[in-house]
Amino acid sequence: MSASSRTANRYFDPRAFRIGAAAAGLVLLMIVVGSSGLDHFDWALTTYAVASVFAAFSVVYRYAVWAGRPPTRMYLRRGWQAFRSGRGRSGRGARLGIGALGGNAARLGRLLLNNFVLQTFINRRSVERWIMHAGLSWGGMLAFGITFPLVFGWVHFETLATDAEVYRVFVFGFPVDQFHVGSFRGQLFFNLLNISALLVLLGLALSVKLRMHDGGELAVQTFADDVFPLLLLLAVTVTGLMLTVSAKLLSGYGFAFIGLSHAASVIALLLYLPFGKLFHIVQRPLSLGVAFYRHAGENSPRASCMRCGEDFASGAHVADMKEVLDQLGLDYRFETGSGIVHYQDVCPACRRRIVTLNQGAALGR
Amino acid sequence: MTEYEFFIDPSRCIGCEACKQACTECDTHRGRSMIHLEFVDRAVSTQTSPVVCMHCEDPTCARVCPADAIKQTDDGIVQSSIRDRCIGCSNCVLACPFGVPHYVAAIDQMVKCDMCYDRTSIGRKPMCATVCPSQALFYGTREELERLRSETPVNDFRFGNQRVRTKVHLMSSPGADDMDVDVMRFMAGAEPDVRIEELAVWTEDSVAARS
Amino acid sequence: MAIPALEEREFIERFGPTLHYGPMHGGERPKPDTHVRTHCCFCGVQCGIQLEVHDNKVVGFEPWEEFPVNRGMLCPKGVKRYMQNGHPDRLLAPMVRTPRGFDATGWDDALNRTVAAIHRIQARHGKDAFAVLGGASMTNEKAYLLGKFARVALKTANIDYNGRLCMVSAGAANKAAFGVDRSANPWSDIPLARALIISGANVGECFPILTDYIWRARDNGAKIIVIDPRMTPIARTADLFLPVRPGRDSALANGILHVMIERGWIDREFIEAHTVGFDQVSGVVAGYPPDVTEAVTGVPASSIVRAAEIWGPAETSMLLHARGVEHHTKGVENCRSYINLVLATGRIGRPGCGYGTLTGQGNGQGGREHGQRTNQLPGGRDIENPEDRRFIADFWQVPEAEIPHTGLTACEIIDAIEDGRIRGLLSISFNPLVSIPDADRTRAALGRLEHFTCIDFFLSETARYADVVLAGSLQEEDDGTVTTGEGRCVRLRQAVTPPGEARVDWEIIVDIARRLGYDEQFPYAIPKDIFRELARASAGGNVDYSGMDYARIEENMGIFWPCPSRGHPGTPRLFEGRRFHHPDGRARFQAFEYRPPAEDVDAEYPLFLTTGRVVSQYLSGNQTRRIGPLVDQYPEPLCEMHPLSAARIGVADGDPVRVETRRGAIEVPARLVRTIRPDTVFVPYHWPGPKSANLLTNRALDPVSKIPEFKVCACRVRRAGASADASGTVSDD
Repeated sequence: MSASSRTANRYFDPRAFRIGAAAAGLVLLMIVVGSSGLDHFDWALTTYAVASVFAAFSVVYRYAVWAGRPPTRMYLRRGWQAFRSGRGRSGRGARLGIGALGGNAARLGRLLLNNFVLQTFINRRSVERWIMHAGLSWGGMLAFGITFPLVFGWVHFETLATDAEVYRVFVFGFPVDQFHVGSFRGQLFFNLLNISALLVLLGLALSVKLRMHDGGELAVQTFADDVFPLLLLLAVTVTGLMLTVSAKLLSGYGFAFIGLSHAASVIALLLYLPFGKLFHIVQRPLSLGVAFYRHAGENSPRASCMRCGEDFASGAHVADMKEVLDQLGLDYRFETGSGIVHYQDVCPACRRRIVTLNQGAALGR
Repeated sequence: MTEYEFFIDPSRCIGCEACKQACTECDTHRGRSMIHLEFVDRAVSTQTSPVVCMHCEDPTCARVCPADAIKQTDDGIVQSSIRDRCIGCSNCVLACPFGVPHYVAAIDQMVKCDMCYDRTSIGRKPMCATVCPSQALFYGTREELERLRSETPVNDFRFGNQRVRTKVHLMSSPGADDMDVDVMRFMAGAEPDVRIEELAVWTEDSVAARS
Repeated sequence: MAIPALEEREFIERFGPTLHYGPMHGGERPKPDTHVRTHCCFCGVQCGIQLEVHDNKVVGFEPWEEFPVNRGMLCPKGVKRYMQNGHPDRLLAPMVRTPRGFDATGWDDALNRTVAAIHRIQARHGKDAFAVLGGASMTNEKAYLLGKFARVALKTANIDYNGRLCMVSAGAANKAAFGVDRSANPWSDIPLARALIISGANVGECFPILTDYIWRARDNGAKIIVIDPRMTPIARTADLFLPVRPGRDSALANGILHVMIERGWIDREFIEAHTVGFDQVSGVVAGYPPDVTEAVTGVPASSIVRAAEIWGPAETSMLLHARGVEHHTKGVENCRSYINLVLATGRIGRPGCGYGTLTGQGNGQGGREHGQRTNQLPGGRDIENPEDRRFIADFWQVPEAEIPHTGLTACEIIDAIEDGRIRGLLSISFNPLVSIPDADRTRAALGRLEHFTCIDFFLSETARYADVVLAGSLQEEDDGTVTTGEGRCVRLRQAVTPPGEARVDWEIIVDIARRLGYDEQFPYAIPKDIFRELARASAGGNVDYSGMDYARIEENMGIFWPCPSRGHPGTPRLFEGRRFHHPDGRARFQAFEYRPPAEDVDAEYPLFLTTGRVVSQYLSGNQTRRIGPLVDQYPEPLCEMHPLSAARIGVADGDPVRVETRRGAIEVPARLVRTIRPDTVFVPYHWPGPKSANLLTNRALDPVSKIPEFKVCACRVRRAGASADASGTVSDD
């Protein structure tokens, strides 16, 4: 059941390469600047930093290739236009008198909250699935939220000269906070990664359960896209937790080896990001553009089917689809006695009927 | 190994909806039917139109997907949307020449026929074709089909300037190579195949009471 | 006094119909522990199906592709039939009527009440004052048991079944013409036929999987003639469609035969050697030349000639009919008129040559063979034939004189309840309030019963009138056999046991018999015991099962009767060697002069009303109206009518219309279609209450088969809410 994607673009894209390289350069630059010229850079974390730079390149390269595809480009552009122009004049922004853009900003806030923080759309599939995804996504985001600043030297800790039990927190070289090691805050801070690991483990456990029982999931899953990322996440969390176990309970037994394994698994995870399932993390924000585009389309001229007259999409969407099809080299135009008919002007239901009627006519039925 | 293929003859369909009801029973479909089954125009005819995915060789739906959410497997099955990618934009719904993908607002995603991948990927028949009482939906080997039927399967379609080749076949007139879809002929609606009022003898008197 | 104790709303709250959609799909559906190979419970095709069972619950299904009749095919009812199990409306314990509705009680209490009522009523009003109504959805075992129970334990003549509403006209016609009541051919003969007449059979909706057989015939070059007032899905693609005026079938068949005789497309040799009565037939049909036939039937003369041209010279042929020709006060005459078309060609008893009625009920065939019909004893024996009576009396070890004679048929039993001749009723597998014509009268009759015990799995509309409701079993909760529409006896396997306190039906009947003091006559421990007995009872009879047992039936995926001995392979095709089952071996012709239906259209009621099924519902809907996906497919009855007749009354598609007959009125939405004769409207009958089509239909019976005239009566239609004055008035008058 290998499901290599025949539809993916499999060619080298020099433009995307340049953008990716620029992104990697930017990350490098931010490491240097953010760590006050590498003063606060933790050299023990170098491998992570190198992997991060490489991941930045590959994720952005992949994103650039993807964003360059006609339909994606169209949505990025149209979504942004819809956001700025506030074509949804009947929206809340207009009613509140804060202007279209303000209304769209509020809308964006709501979308971000519902779709990215609360992930309510997953809850509609099933609560168990929502808990699974919440565990994986929040655990993952929390872990990366902590790890990247530390690895890049943007955040570092120093103990007080007067009291080695008190830690001071520096962000971009500036002191922002301090806490006692034994305080609740201190414990929380030092265990954040463990907490994130537990969240991820919960998500992983549920995901395995769903995959064990869900025949549908089993049928379409592939090792490379669906199973491998779960294994990677498992490796990262387990080795991460073992570091704590080794340090706290086993007086450092095997710490170096576990550390190496952890590093290896994290690096593998970073390098895998552009390939399988996890790439959706960076793709997903496009749904915001779709939401704005759809909202704008609801309040703009509609397209009605040239056969049955039914309103079946926004006029803008139909026009954009024609453009995208042209860009893709697909030509659904009929040259008929009464001029050119574009199949995009016939609604999907009538297309189904037309094919059936053609088939029936071919057989005289 | 015997190669099973999907052959559709909509003209045999009796509109019973066994396929739609059975479609919801597949594991990959999660209680949703992926099949479209509609009357072509109930006012004039009992003709119905059963539509499953034709599984295009170069699927337009996947080409127009901005999120890379529609994948084709090595065996040529165009899968339903990948859930973590699909952003519910409906490009595929608008672009598919056969009108196959469904946009489901409740989950803000597209779903479509995946030829019961949980079944066909392990050598079983898809639910719809297994139960179809008229065998308008037929899943079997080409030899079997040729033994049973005189119509010719085609999988090469022309929608105006666009040629579309599919994994699934439609049954057409004997000897046909392809199907050049005529859009204008049926633009005004279905041609009633039978005008019962002309086939039957009846009187004006018999349709109205007098007071 | 059997009047429902609860309001409609309260009944629905407590007993449904609740739309059931479970169990859920995908990850939420439990993995089945076993797959049980059995059959669908909805219709006489009895498609093979595998039920998925988990933890004593049916959780899904899997097609059973090895079963040769349907090879995995199923209609929507078959696909969703598993949802009737684990249903929230399921009756879980026996109940007795109280002023508060129904209260659950113990089996002893419930059965003792039933038995006391039987004693009381029979003592005061005679044995026949207590009637039994059975059903053709029951297994052969239960059908046999119920017949024996009525004759031996109750000693009542008044036992009949809902098959009386189904294909008894065909049964009576078959018996008269061929000497045996069974489809003459297996369905596997259909694809071998080069000409098919399908009359009054909406195959696509009522026997959906037979559609494939018809298409395979076409693939082999067959020409198809469909006779129906409506352009049904199979009529749409037929080679010839004859849109007959309702109630005119016998005339149409006469007209076709007239042309065949004229053109010489009859098999004189066969007629001479193997039949009786052709002279009478040729005399009658001489009076039906095409123009005369056209005037009667509403079928153009040219189409009648064309039908004869297709049918007459065909090399092989099958004629199939169903309720459309049988549900008439001349149902038997219609069937015999069509049989004449078969006998005249001599094309019967050979591969691809023959005839059959398509039975509509789950055990429409077997349900009528083993003695639950009032005029019949096991083995298809005649209750008035002294030899048959003696055989069964000896077999049951009762004096022959004690076996009752012919009693009342199903509709007549309701009539007799109405006029007080019958005071007590035990019913099972029957919902007469929805399924018998003139429902208002049925309702009044049920209210007059002194005692009514009903065995049911869901509380049907009829069961609301019961004094005692005994929680029985669904088809998948019991073992047994059924005999399909082609005469194939197949095995139903128990998939789960009844839930709660519910019991399997046959145990309940046996328990009542024992409480009435007939332990010895009802010694069964398992259904197989009953089957063994019914097989022996049928030995030497018209309907011989004596060579069958469960193991053989399972091995062969069904055995066709007659099967008179252990080594006998069964008889898929009857009349091979052109021997018919009358003592002289000859088939009987008989033609009939056309006579109009009991109620024909007139100026006051100018439209024909015809009723029938939709594909997603089964019979009175007691099961299928509770299955969510099936209800969603066709949620309520619609009045199908032609735009030409709708225009007269200013009705547009979807408008509510009032359909009125001399018996009642219903209001339903109109569905305007050009697929029905302009002088005819159609309403499906599966629903109860104010939208029940059987509030309209005519309880006029065929004099022989006692089938009611569901398929034609006179009605008028107007816009709902429009005043009666404006009703149906011709606008241009």
